Amino acid sequence: MQTLIAARNISKRYDGVPSLTHVGIEGKAGSIHAVTGENGAGKSTLMKIIAGVVKPSEGELFLNGKAVTFRSPLDALNAGISTVFQEFSLVPNLTVAETMFLGRELRRGPQLDRAAMNAAAEKALAQVGLAIDPRRSVGSLTVAEQQSVEIAKGLTVDAQIFIFDEPTAALNTQEVARLEILLKALRDRGKCIFYISHRMREIFELCDTATVLKDGKLVGSYPTRELNADRLLSLMVGRDLAQLYPPKADSLGETVLEVAQLQVDKQAAPLAFNLRRGEIVALAGLEGQGQREIVRTLAGIQPQGKAQIAIRDLQGRMSRFSAGGGSARSLQHGMAFMPEDRKAEGLYLDLPIHANLTLGIHQRRRPWALARRCSQVVAGLVKDLSIRTSSTSLAVISLSGGNQQKVMLGRWLAVGAKVLLIEEPTRGVDVGAKTEIYNALRAFCAQGGAVLFTSRELPEVIGVADRVLVIKDHTVVAERSAGAITEEDILQAAVGNHAGGGHRS
Amino acid sequence: MKTRYAGRIGGQYLSAILLVIALAVLAACFAQFRTVENLGNLLVQATPLLVVALGQTLVILTGGLDLSVGVMISLATGLIANTESPVLGVAMVLMAAVSLGLINGVGVARFRVHPIIMTLSSATVLQGIVLIILPTPGGAVAPGLVTAVNGSMGPMPLAVLWIVAAVLGGWFLLHRTRLGLHLYAVGGAPDNAALAGVNVSWTIVRGYVLCALFAAVAGIFLAGRISSGDPWVGTSYGLDSIAAVALGGTQLTGGIGGVWGTLCGTLLLGLVGNGMNLVQINPFLLSVVNGALLLVAVCLRRRQQLGL
Repeated sequence: MQTLIAARNISKRYDGVPSLTHVGIEGKAGSIHAVTGENGAGKSTLMKIIAGVVKPSEGELFLNGKAVTFRSPLDALNAGISTVFQEFSLVPNLTVAETMFLGRELRRGPQLDRAAMNAAAEKALAQVGLAIDPRRSVGSLTVAEQQSVEIAKGLTVDAQIFIFDEPTAALNTQEVARLEILLKALRDRGKCIFYISHRMREIFELCDTATVLKDGKLVGSYPTRELNADRLLSLMVGRDLAQLYPPKADSLGETVLEVAQLQVDKQAAPLAFNLRRGEIVALAGLEGQGQREIVRTLAGIQPQGKAQIAIRDLQGRMSRFSAGGGSARSLQHGMAFMPEDRKAEGLYLDLPIHANLTLGIHQRRRPWALARRCSQVVAGLVKDLSIRTSSTSLAVISLSGGNQQKVMLGRWLAVGAKVLLIEEPTRGVDVGAKTEIYNALRAFCAQGGAVLFTSRELPEVIGVADRVLVIKDHTVVAERSAGAITEEDILQAAVGNHAGGGHRS
Repeated sequence: MKTRYAGRIGGQYLSAILLVIALAVLAACFAQFRTVENLGNLLVQATPLLVVALGQTLVILTGGLDLSVGVMISLATGLIANTESPVLGVAMVLMAAVSLGLINGVGVARFRVHPIIMTLSSATVLQGIVLIILPTPGGAVAPGLVTAVNGSMGPMPLAVLWIVAAVLGGWFLLHRTRLGLHLYAVGGAPDNAALAGVNVSWTIVRGYVLCALFAAVAGIFLAGRISSGDPWVGTSYGLDSIAAVALGGTQLTGGIGGVWGTLCGTLLLGLVGNGMNLVQINPFLLSVVNGALLLVAVCLRRRQQLGL
């Protein structure tokens, strides 16, 4: 296969901090080339350099063997490199044709040649199998349609190289299938496709080559048929996968939380379950079966939710209350909630790390109390959770997803929460930080806490939980203990064609 | 959940509907309204606001705002009325406008000063300069200009030509040229426009320069209309032009709107004034009505955009 584009010895530093060091990659004609690695490994930066968005600090690009430099994305596009960015680069208030030709409009004298642009756009759209009027407003298209428009935009310049940055993140299953057909068609026409993803299925089914980056350095490029998922993951993480999940609890303590008569809304069947000291319990199941609502009912923020809760404090006294009285009541009893969308619902992104960490402490004080820094508490948390930052005065938004999640966790550890209710504990968290979060949860449990979490990732459910409650139609349909769970088992129970199902109440 | 845009035409049609309703009501109720003389007056009165509002539309489409257009108008009248040669006067006005637009545009686009602060500052500075040039109303305007503004061809006032030229010029610029497309793109999604190769800063700068030029033309027209210079004559046009643009359905966040909406918005404001004049209501109430009209019209539109 002929090499279309080669990047050699690329380095990129932001304010002196290296983001890429001496990385090289080669794209061949008729190839789908996976670019993978943990969040922050530098995959997007490398692709942005090829796309002309970012200028490299060092290194060279060779297009068809000739050295090139791109001053702008438009430059790269005109040279035949088309990029489908993760957040699309279309302009919502323009028409489809206008946005496809934006920056390189066809003109007749001083006037825009709309007819020619519409015709060319229609032709390119037909090639990607999209029968939409090029005069339609971009904002009225679905995400999948917008993505196709971006691809069609590349076809209008007869691009040879296509870059896709996590293209399936926002698509549903059918749309993903359509995209894959399209990608294969492009490949068969001899295009070179760079495909940023960390979804194993896509990498192995779609891509012929995988380049792995880690911490801004090249791990290597491999033909995918020589790899398997475990091997690839360990290349990405740089260590064995077995270490991803900490050991499970070897002994459990007394019951710390008793939940009875839990209803997420008036129609739902009531359910009941217990948590024991030191135990991590997962709510698994198909999407939207009520896992999220159950957790939110316990947290006191599900509008229609009701539950009778008994929670034991460290001295062993049980206190009883009913959920539904707002998050303050649940929190007061030691049940802390970490939402899935931590940026919108959990953290104060623009406030410094220390303020986010001590927020829980301050909430318990009188409104007019002075808000002290609690430096020792903050320093302790940063150390215990290994929150990686140069200063706790930085805004939380400057942290990576994993470190943001640690701040969320630290806030509730600081107030001595007894039970953590967590939605998707490692969403948007890279593999390395995942382990640290799991370890932190285990440490919390070892001190007598208990965790209830929801997760869409079955490997995480199996790897982390001591017990799994499978949820279907807002109720528990099966319960499995650690060691005896498989992904298939959970899925069987979740779709409901499973015979047994030890529902303990 | 799908974001829906009504396209970049936005709610312009609403102001057209309001305009037609206002026209119909006035024409049905008042015989004086239907006279050629009254309609001609209406157009002449609306012309300066229309011209400056068209310029304002360009800036607002990029997501900006220009508060300095009013002072630019005052400056234009002052320069025209204090220069012997009308050609020299017009040249000086246009040069002043380009400079003002460059300063505003560079401040907003390059130095990231908020448009309100940037144009308010330049307006305040410029007002001082205007008062130094022309402390009190006065000066003389070349008779040719006075005729070009106040004259008429048969029953049609010459101001109509100014209107047609300004609207067609604005329309061509926005809908037929690359710059127009870029103004929309910058207002719609500046980062994505930049990725596509649009020079965002330069586009914004040109928007402010054109806006100042439109204001300059409005100022030249007003100088002819009042046959003198006046350091304060433009003051009200700063906010009025923004009101006219908003009434015309152009979104202050940028990216949606256009020339026809501004035309309708301006004429609507003119009609309301004219109508209230005809029924001889206390003229101070006009301000009350205009304010309420603006609020109601913009709110109606907002509800439609949200699909409620």
